[in-house]
This record gives sequence, C-alpha cells and structure tokens, in this order.
Amino acid sequence: MPNSPTGPRVAAKPLFLCKPFVTSQLVKGSFSTIVVLPKYVDQGEWLALNVFEFFDMLNRFYGVINEFCTPRNCPSMSAGPGLDYTWLDANKKPMRLPAPTYIEYVLQWINNRINDETIFPTKAKGGFPQSFEQTCKGIYKQMFRIFAHIYHTHFDKILHMSLEAHFNSLFVHFIHFSRTFNLLEQRDLEPLRALIENFEEQGLFKDG
Amino acid sequence: TQASGSLNNDYIIFSRDDSMFSSSTKERAKALKLKVELHYNQSVAHAVERNQRRVELEQELASEARMSEERKNRRRQQLGKQESSFLRLRRLRLTADDFLTVKVIGKGAFGEVRLVQKKDTGKIYAMKTLLKSEMFKKDQLAHVKAERDVLADSDSPWVVNLFYSFQDAVYLYLIMEFLPGGDLMTMLIKYEIFTEDVTRFYMAQCVLAIETVHKLGFIHRDIKPDNILIDKDGHIKLSDFGLSTGFHKTHDQAYYQRLLENTSTPPSEQQTSRPRNSVMVDAIHLTVSNRNQINTWRKSRRLMAYSTVGTPDYIAPEIFLHSGYGQECDWWSLGTIMFECLVGWPPFCAEDAQETYRKIVNWQTQLYFPDEIQLSPEAEDLIRSLITSADQRLGRHGAEEIKAHPFFRGVNWDSLRSIDAPFKPQLTSITDTSYFPTDELENVPERPEVAAARANAMSQQPTQIGEETGLPFIGYTYTRFNRLSRQGGL
Ligand SMILES: Nc1ncnc2c1ncn2[C@@H]1O[C@H](COP(=O)(O)OP(=O)(O)OP(=O)(O)O)[C@@H](O)[C@H]1O
Repeated sequence: MPNSPTGPRVAAKPLFLCKPFVTSQLVKGSFSTIVVLPKYVDQGEWLALNVFEFFDMLNRFYGVINEFCTPRNCPSMSAGPGLDYTWLDANKKPMRLPAPTYIEYVLQWINNRINDETIFPTKAKGGFPQSFEQTCKGIYKQMFRIFAHIYHTHFDKILHMSLEAHFNSLFVHFIHFSRTFNLLEQRDLEPLRALIENFEEQGLFKDG
Repeated sequence: TQASGSLNNDYIIFSRDDSMFSSSTKERAKALKLKVELHYNQSVAHAVERNQRRVELEQELASEARMSEERKNRRRQQLGKQESSFLRLRRLRLTADDFLTVKVIGKGAFGEVRLVQKKDTGKIYAMKTLLKSEMFKKDQLAHVKAERDVLADSDSPWVVNLFYSFQDAVYLYLIMEFLPGGDLMTMLIKYEIFTEDVTRFYMAQCVLAIETVHKLGFIHRDIKPDNILIDKDGHIKLSDFGLSTGFHKTHDQAYYQRLLENTSTPPSEQQTSRPRNSVMVDAIHLTVSNRNQINTWRKSRRLMAYSTVGTPDYIAPEIFLHSGYGQECDWWSLGTIMFECLVGWPPFCAEDAQETYRKIVNWQTQLYFPDEIQLSPEAEDLIRSLITSADQRLGRHGAEEIKAHPFFRGVNWDSLRSIDAPFKPQLTSITDTSYFPTDELENVPERPEVAAARANAMSQQPTQIGEETGLPFIGYTYTRFNRLSRQGGL
C-alpha cells in the first residue's frame, strides 16, 4: 500500500502535493466540454480517439524523463513508498521489473493494441470489437501506473523542465475522462488518491 | 542536487535547473509543451465547431415544419455518423507508404510534387514533399507552417485544397488536390504569348484569387506563373504559400528563431545567386524576331524554377528594399505576369538574378514596352498602374479598383469561375500528366546538398514510438472536417 500523509516523517510529503505545484494548471475551466460524449457520436469512436491521444501525450512525457528512469535509479516500478507494480509474465506469474523495462513493455503493449486494425479500426468499414471497452480499461489502468510512477519518482524532473502545469492538466483530464466512462476502479487510484482529492477540492473536476 | 526546503508546511521553494538534461531532451520538452498547448486549444475548438454543426442542423430541422420526427432523427443520426468518422480520421496515421507514386510532376526549391494514388481508395492526389533539413537551414520553417495554414483555412475555389499532411524523419508531406492542367508557366512556354482576351480571362481570375488570399489576411508575396495552377476545366487556383505571411504567431520567423535558440543551428546559408545556365538575354534588345532566344530564355526559366534561388522576376521592389510592404505587392506581381502574357517575357528579365533585382528597383527607367508588340491602351495602362510605386499602385485600396479598370470592361465577376476557359485541358484519364513536363523532370538532377541531406536523414536512427522529429512541426498533421466529409476525403 502506498504511503499515507500521516506517515512517520511528515517532511516526506511528496513534491507533487506541495504548493505551488499542486495548484499549477495549464487548462483553466472545466474539462467537461471536451470530455463528455458529443451528442449522436459513437461512444467507441470517442473512447478510441481519447485513449489514442492520452497515450500519445503520456508517451511524450515519459520521453522527457526517460534518461533518468534507468534500472539503477528505478530498480522497480514504484508508485510511492511501499508500492511496486509487478508485470505478469506469459504464465501470469508476477515479475518484478525495473521501471524502465516495465514502462517500455507497457508502451509497446499499448502501441500494439492501438495500431491493431481489429481493435482500433481506422478504415472506413471496420467496427469495434465486443471487448473494446474492456481493452480500453486495461490500457487505462497501465497508463495510470505510468502517471503514478512519474509523479512519485520523477516529479522533480517535471519541475526542472517547467512542465508541471502541463502534466497536471493532462492528469486532471485523464481522471475526468476515466470517471465519465468508468475506466478505472477505485482501488487503481490509490497511489495518487491524495492528489486526486486535492484536485477535487480545488474544484478541477466540476462539470460545466 | 536541488535546493528545496519547506517554507511552511507545504510551500516549497524549488530552484529549477535544466543543466542535467541532454539537449535532445530539452528539445523534446519544448516540443511537448507546444504539443500539449496545441492539443487543448484544438480540442476546445473542435468541441465548439461540433456544437455549431449540431445547432445549425437543429435550426434547419426546426424550420422544416412538415418533416416527420422520424426523418429528423435520421438526419441527427447522419450527423453523428459524420462526426464519428471525423473522429476516426484523427487517429489515422498516414505515411508515404499509403500512396503510390504515379509520376513526378513538379520540382521546387525544397522538394518535389508527385501525382500519387492512395493505395486503399485508389483516389488521386498531388503530394508535395519538403525536405525538413533543408528548410531548417534556410529559415523556411515558418513558411511551411504558413503555407499549411493558408491552404487549410481557406475553403475557397481559388486556392488549392489541402487534405492531409504528415511527416517522417526526412520530409513533410502535403496531400493536395491534383490539378491536371499544369501551371501558367508551362502554358506560357507552350503558347509564348496570349491574346488580350485570353490574358483578360487569366488576369481576371487571378484578381479574384489574390483578393481571396488578401481577405484571409495574407500576403502571398510569391505570385508567379509557376504558382498559378490550372484545374480540369481550365480555371486557375493559387498554390504555394511558401512565402506568404500571416498574422499567426507561428508565421513569425522570430518565433522559430526563439524556439531554436540554444540548438546548434548553423547560420542560414547565404543564398548565392546562381547565374542562369544559358543564354544571356537582355529584355531591352529582345524583339519578336529573336524567338529562338526567347525560347532559350524560357528553358532557363524552368531551370530557374527548380533552383533554390528562385526567380525574382515577379517580386515588387519594396520587398527588396526592406522598406515594409503590404498586400499591394501582390498586385505588382500580377502586373509583371500580365506583361509576360502579352509581351512574351517578364518586364525585368535579365541575365542573372542580381541584374533583375537592379532593374526592378529602377523600374522607372527599366520598364519598357517593345515597339513591335501592339498593346491596347487599356492593357498598357493597367500594366503601368500595377508596375508602379506602392503608394500609387492600383489595388492598394482593394481589388475593386482593379476590377473597375477599363481593361476589364465587360467582365462578369460573379460568374467568372463558371464560364468556359480559353484552354480546357484535354484529359484521357484521371492520371493524365500530359500537361506537366514529366520527361524533363526526370532529367533534372537532384541538387547535391538535397541528396546529401536526404541520405543523412535516412541513415539516422529510427525514432521512438510516436515521436515526431524536429521541433516546430508539431501539429503538422492536419485534416479538415468539412472538406473530408463533403469531398469524400481520403
Ligand atoms: N496540386 C497540384 N496539382 C498539380 N500540380 C501541382 C500541384 N502543386 C504543384 N504542382 C506542380 O508542381 C510545381 C511546383 O510546385 P510548387 O510551386 O508548389 O512547389 P515549389 O516550387 O517547391 O515551391 P517553392 O516556390 O516554395 O519552391 C508547380 O509549378 C506545378 O506545376
């Protein structure tokens, strides 16, 4: 389980929860205009485009910090003290992987799906498979983990590059979207619960 | 490493320091910033446009008192389908591999234009490629962005339609409508001179086309016969906004300069003027009996079009003089083209670019109408009122002034695009390239620096997933809703 704010060392409050960074946003106003399903539009199409775009941008954020996300600095895929994600191997056995390896697998795995015509059709005729929503949930869960790892381990790099407003807004958008379409389970959110609550108190998830 | 400490419970002082990052990471971060900003601006714009389309439909349906509710719902579903397929197109990642080259139909300073066929749909397009590394060197980034924006923003019949754009490590690609009639330069090479009636037709069409560009807020700055393209009916469209300037931040050269600061960009190469490859021709001594010489000039004219320097023949003097210029500079260009149509060569043509510059700047003494060629007084007067100083030039108060000139008496401006053109291309198929100098193009050698840049870029490591190379090209991937839905798109 990830740390809670009432841990033994109060000074260890993660950087991303500290002011002024936690209140830094690129996008002002409500995300709902660009989150809710446009009227008469096919939901699969909307999910597909948004998942595609979140992936694209998250991938670019990782591209900015990846020279510091090395097996040495990040021997495990951690999302805060006490929480390490494991990768399931071909036999569904959990494996501990260095974060860069884990993330590379995830990015490749998502990329393969997004470029698979049978899952994310781009041709005029192709339809979405029955399992499409399930696939999106799977992708979303993994993308969340990358957000969590960057927030917990590399947020200082985000600050050095002055990208926190951009990263925070992307994350607010990401969570707002997941709530609207039920893409993440409550327990998946645990590693960034304090951040999400903080954003909530700031009114960032308000509708309209 | 970082100087951070807490002021009070949760207020942190953090001194930012990017010196630990490699320069490529810094570039990536800058590009990402722009990308995210663009993404949110566009997302909001898309939502607003979507909403507008829905409101428009609802208004239309509300006015249809007799339409059944069922039919109205069908119309709504139809809109939803269209919107959905537009969303789908935004996931489409076209690459050069999606197109088959039929033929190279044009060459320019930074790349070439090919007739291509989209593999899956069989549809025909013109694909313009621009070598990114070359533009980088030549300060052309802003130009390309500007070109894209003009093409994209206009829905005008006078401007070549842009359907899609994408890039790879080496090139930018513009997928445009294919105009099978070639260009005015090729036509002038073929016909040598036009009658006044034919000239009137092309000039009148150009007036409307340039007026459109001006109304979009742009100055073309590079109106010349090679950029005046002919469609299947023989009507003209303007292409090539490579040099046009607009009012967007991203059209500003300085904008890119700032972005590219701190990167090891060599100062842009000095453009050396390359002498024309062949015969020296002095316009003043040129007479009708010198047709052979003119033809040789024409051949070198085409070579000129393929060179980086380009031809300065049509450029207004105020542009060289750096004294500031406005939309009226395009009317000067029109005047020089009109002169060429009637006389057979542009008014300031000379042995080399330098000499042409000199003549243009001294246009008062250098503009000369040969005695052997009979022009109507109206034609000569129009040319003289266009090829004149900017503060005297006809058109400086708007295109209406030019439309009202006696040379255009009798022109019906409203129906100009629907009347029969003097030359209508005779086409045998949708891929007919007989109006393009394709044989000649095959023999135009690639400039060595272009070849080297291409080879160099090709040999570089493939880029990371989804990563676009190069800084200011983010957002270059473009599709347009209306165009795609109305014209069947890709
Ligand atoms: N959409 C099109 N359809 C048919 N032919 C085209 C089209 N666009 C360009 N061409 C042909 O290709 C030639 C070169 O195109 P263009 O002038 O756009 O490129 P360029 O010369 O590279 O531009 P620049 O002036 O920036 O160097 C044109 O003169 C024309 O003959």
